[in-house]
Amino acid sequence: MARDLSAPAVRQGTARGRRSHRSRAIPWLLIAPPTLVLILLFVAPIGYVLLLSVADPRPSLAHYQRIFAVPLYARVMVNTFLTSLVVTGLCLVLGYPIAYVMARRNNWMSTLLLTVVAMSFWTGFVARTYAWLVILGSNGPVVAAYQALGLGRAPTLLFTTFSSTLGMTHILLPYMILALFGVMKKIDPEHLKAAASLGARPRAAFREVFLPLSLPGVVNGSLLVFVTCLGFFVTPVLLGTPRDMMISQLINQQIEELLAWGFASAVAMVLLATTALVLAVYNRFAGLDRLWG
Amino acid sequence: MTQPGRIDRGRRAFLKNAVVTAGAAAMAPLVITDRTIAQTRTIYVNTWGGSWTAAEEAAFFRPFTEQTGIRVRTVAPVSYAKLKAQVQSGNYEWDITAITQAELLRADREGLVEPVDWSIVKKDKLFPDAVYANGLAYCAMGTNLVYRKDRFPLGGPRTWAHFWDVQKFPGNRAMQNHAVRTLQFALVADDVPPDKVFPLDVDRAFRKLNQIKPHIKVWWTHGNQSQQLLRDGEVDTMVMWNARASELQRQGLPVELVWHGATITRSMWCIARGAPHRKLAWEFLQFAVQPKPQADFSNRLHYGPANPEAFKHISSEVARQLPTYAENAKVAIQPDTVWVADHTARIQEVFAQWLAT
Repeated sequence: MARDLSAPAVRQGTARGRRSHRSRAIPWLLIAPPTLVLILLFVAPIGYVLLLSVADPRPSLAHYQRIFAVPLYARVMVNTFLTSLVVTGLCLVLGYPIAYVMARRNNWMSTLLLTVVAMSFWTGFVARTYAWLVILGSNGPVVAAYQALGLGRAPTLLFTTFSSTLGMTHILLPYMILALFGVMKKIDPEHLKAAASLGARPRAAFREVFLPLSLPGVVNGSLLVFVTCLGFFVTPVLLGTPRDMMISQLINQQIEELLAWGFASAVAMVLLATTALVLAVYNRFAGLDRLWG
Repeated sequence: MTQPGRIDRGRRAFLKNAVVTAGAAAMAPLVITDRTIAQTRTIYVNTWGGSWTAAEEAAFFRPFTEQTGIRVRTVAPVSYAKLKAQVQSGNYEWDITAITQAELLRADREGLVEPVDWSIVKKDKLFPDAVYANGLAYCAMGTNLVYRKDRFPLGGPRTWAHFWDVQKFPGNRAMQNHAVRTLQFALVADDVPPDKVFPLDVDRAFRKLNQIKPHIKVWWTHGNQSQQLLRDGEVDTMVMWNARASELQRQGLPVELVWHGATITRSMWCIARGAPHRKLAWEFLQFAVQPKPQADFSNRLHYGPANPEAFKHISSEVARQLPTYAENAKVAIQPDTVWVADHTARIQEVFAQWLAT
């Protein structure tokens, strides 16, 4: 192919032929380093994990069978999925009104909210997790407030399903708000005025016009939160109970404590496949290129 | 030309080499090579972090660097899994680690441990029983029942049976996420005589553990975490390493530790097989098991020195708090190293499943 194309170039003069060669090569040269990095640091290691999952200690699919056959491991899978759903739902319920105010108001309030959300977004999640250890701890403000109000002995808050769900929701909330905000900000306020001029009350205008237009943000935010939550590790470890084990905790336990790399690799592949499946469904209906607005 | 379908070995080998070379070139800055060793003379030690590493810095690392010019870098936390990963992959993050005697036996059987280099380690400079399964004896560690005196004004739990008795000794509890020790404490709580605890009756231990499980607020994994729980008042009585509890006492916390039914495990230094700085590492270990550094470590962090000569440099007040002190060792239980090494893998798996259900 290259020979065919260069033939006329040679006839017309070598200088131009060289240039067309070069312009053809440049995109490949630009793409080569990132491709190489992706293959070396991403594709190759995942391929190795896949290999381990079917070949360590001996070639078989037993690890995959075990994930679904042992009740505990199947429960970890289901628990991870349900926890991610609950956290996504909570983020949506809490995040939608905040994003709405941020997008619809053009005053100090929206600036303040955006600043708070962005600061929260940029604060390390380990620090935010530790903050909950203090807030919900036996000597923390929640227990103190409980006793000050004379409500008696406070219920156990820390190291429960409640505290780990709360921590994960808190950490992922900024993702949801920013995804919603990006879409809501682009909704033309004139649409709502038009609805009002046609006799729609504010509630109807919101339901019939704003809400459907904001749905892409709902889908984007939910996807981001759900997929991130599937692989959560530190927060459930520090705030939760061993009973609410998530997939990544199971992987860590199998590698660190039991040295069961083959099984851990199989669990990791299931997590990867689940994530890919969720993304594929999203891509089918919405298009991955629209994820960040 | 090769026929279609026939394996072209030459080309395959070339491709394989090309990939390996490209990979090595890309990873070069991350991998320790012979050249970097010659330039820096640094060893990497796997350690627990927190007060453990601080005591090691003062007792072993700084004096060793002053004496030899060899620098010591630390990597935390201690990980048996990483020992295996390093030896299998040939990528070394550290040279030396300190694990329990049973773990060492297991690692040595799996070929993960560098054989003792007798050209560097001098037998006449070692104490009796210093070498075991290609490791050098480091210290004796107690894992004890610990409680806060201010939370138990009428007297705290003095035995594992008391710890299990949530009616008479109400309060928040924590245990270590460690299979063998936890089963051992359960059997003592179930009135198994100390000399009959090993071999562990696993079923009986789990039956006893089921009683206490709902009352355990946290299963801790790191020493710092265990101290945090007691310091913050999150927990009133718990399983804790003796030196970590002694440290809290020195900081003024009203903490009591119980030696009755405690377990004493031996910590051992070893070198990952094929580690790049193994020669320097043996030099370091030879230094680290000498009486003076051993005593310096025990004076700072109250684990018992493995070298009996170290007691010359330890005050009787400190010696009384160590697991090696006769009164303490007499009432504590020393695990059966060989039995633990044989059964750990299986017990850990059952324990991990039990914990998550």
